[in-house]
Amino acid sequence: MPSIKAPRGDAGQAGRADDAGRAGAVIETTMLTKVYPGNVTALDALTVSVAPGVTGLVGANGAGKSTLIKILLGLVPPTRGQAKVLGHDCETSGETIRTLLGYMPEHDCLPPDVTATEFVTHLGRISGLPPTVAKERAAESLRHVGLHEERYRLIGTYSTGMKQRVKLAQALVGAPRLMLLDEPTNGLDPTGRTAMLELIGRIGAEFGISIVVASHLLGEIERICDHLVAIDAGRLLRADSITSFTQASQVLAVEVEEGLAQLQAALAARGLAATPQASTSHGVAGQAGSAPGRTLLVPLGGDDTYDVVRDCVAALALPLCRLEQRRHQVEELFRDEEEVPHA
Amino acid sequence: MPDSAQAPAQVGGVIHDLGYRGYDGPRLGRAQIVRALTWHSFRSAFGIGRGIKGKVVPALAFIAMCLPALVNAFAVARGSQRLFGYDVYTPALRVAVVIVFIAAQAPELVSRDLRSHVLPLYFCRPLRRGDYPLAKYLAMTAALLILVEIPLLILYVGTIASAKNGSAVWSETRALIPGLGVGLMYAVLMAAVGLVLASFTGRRAYSTGIVAISCILTFFLSLLLIQAEGGQSATATGARVAGLFSPFTIIDGVRVWLGGNAQTGLVADPGRFGPLYGVLAVVLLAACLGGLAARYRKVSQS
Repeated sequence: MPSIKAPRGDAGQAGRADDAGRAGAVIETTMLTKVYPGNVTALDALTVSVAPGVTGLVGANGAGKSTLIKILLGLVPPTRGQAKVLGHDCETSGETIRTLLGYMPEHDCLPPDVTATEFVTHLGRISGLPPTVAKERAAESLRHVGLHEERYRLIGTYSTGMKQRVKLAQALVGAPRLMLLDEPTNGLDPTGRTAMLELIGRIGAEFGISIVVASHLLGEIERICDHLVAIDAGRLLRADSITSFTQASQVLAVEVEEGLAQLQAALAARGLAATPQASTSHGVAGQAGSAPGRTLLVPLGGDDTYDVVRDCVAALALPLCRLEQRRHQVEELFRDEEEVPHA
Repeated sequence: MPDSAQAPAQVGGVIHDLGYRGYDGPRLGRAQIVRALTWHSFRSAFGIGRGIKGKVVPALAFIAMCLPALVNAFAVARGSQRLFGYDVYTPALRVAVVIVFIAAQAPELVSRDLRSHVLPLYFCRPLRRGDYPLAKYLAMTAALLILVEIPLLILYVGTIASAKNGSAVWSETRALIPGLGVGLMYAVLMAAVGLVLASFTGRRAYSTGIVAISCILTFFLSLLLIQAEGGQSATATGARVAGLFSPFTIIDGVRVWLGGNAQTGLVADPGRFGPLYGVLAVVLLAACLGGLAARYRKVSQS
């Protein structure tokens, strides 16, 4: 059963799934509302549950991601509602939660005039580690983020990418069970972004630490996430596993040389609502080789969809050029969802 | 194709020779974390763990404070008298050096963290809002204690080393205790004043300026007023209350009120206004500590 549900079935994943079975959600919010002075509503009755694993928290700038993180850290009390992290209430057990959490802030937060080792060790102590353990873990965290050689250099001499790694290392040093990463790829070039995402993916998969990655770049974090939570204007847009996101969005593109209308009618008769591919559709822009006038998009329900399409094409004896499964980028799903109320 | 029977074995027995290890051992409580932060801040108040640049000012300040005591200790060893009373050990020097030390090192403790936005990293850890300013205050107080009390101890050790009999040692000790008390007052009050002023801004030069200017200006204001009212030996009401306008003269007023020698200090004998000095010292301390706590309550939420 786990092999079906888990998108990446490695050992760490299995370990977490096991953990999930016992502990349940790592984050749970119920009607969480935060109104800042001046009647600014940052979170509006947000009810969401985050399962163990790597979860993407996506939303535009100002959607309420940072406010949610601050409430989860117990730094800001919610106006109404409740938030629980690893089973602890954020308002009453902030300290307990903060021993279990690693937080990587969005903005620059490193002093330039100390070495990475010294800084991470110090923050390890502040996380409650005994002195020798803090030293060991600081060295290890820096090694895990790939700064083993440079760890005795002053942070001020580091590149932006290295600074981001130090920020990640300080979140890791306290041996957290859950990490909250706020825009971890901020300010990085494409190579740096990929490296950072791989690192986060590895921490999530191999280290057995649940991770919440907040980002406004959905296309980026979907590569490493097991689940996605999308918020907009403080409200929950959608929360689901990434597989269900992509499953819902999967379509089968059927390209035939001729007889498009016949095929569409035949498929409709078998209960499949196929639509001709529009040349301007977002979903197909840039996809190579598909001719707009000859392609039908069939929603992919399951394996039998393939059979129905095959049977219909065969029955009509149409020249079939292409039969391919397409995956919408998750980004478009959100765009669709956002557009629905306006339509 | 791994079958379901193999899967559980994988869960417990992942082999990564360089892999991640968690930590399930004991963790320090909040009190110990505050202690760790205090110790870290205390070290940085003397530039330990910083570059050479960070060590210059505290080292010079410390030498400047100790030098007269050392000279005096030698003088006593060669048969002279002790030149300074413990409770008024070079008041002017003490004020100047203490101002320099606070103006340079209070920003080191607080502005630096503000400047590099490190605070979110502290507040996302198991500290409470008040713990950070508390640790900084304890560290600054301890640093100032070292700065003002070590010279007294040098003076004391130097003097009793040449003491002829037990009663001389006893009288030295009795003279030392109020001196240590005055030093404690300096440390406790000036640490709070310095930190709250320094925490206004993350720009280090500015916060050094703010601390130095506020301390020096108020100090000279009080001194001028005292001179204008007839100097340290005056007994007019004006002279008695003139010391209320700066932290240093307040401390000196409290010292005289509590029985110190009025002729060797900074202020005129406060007389019946003595309790006012005492109350003002407490109020100033409370205001500064309250201000410091309020400052970081705001920061932790932003």
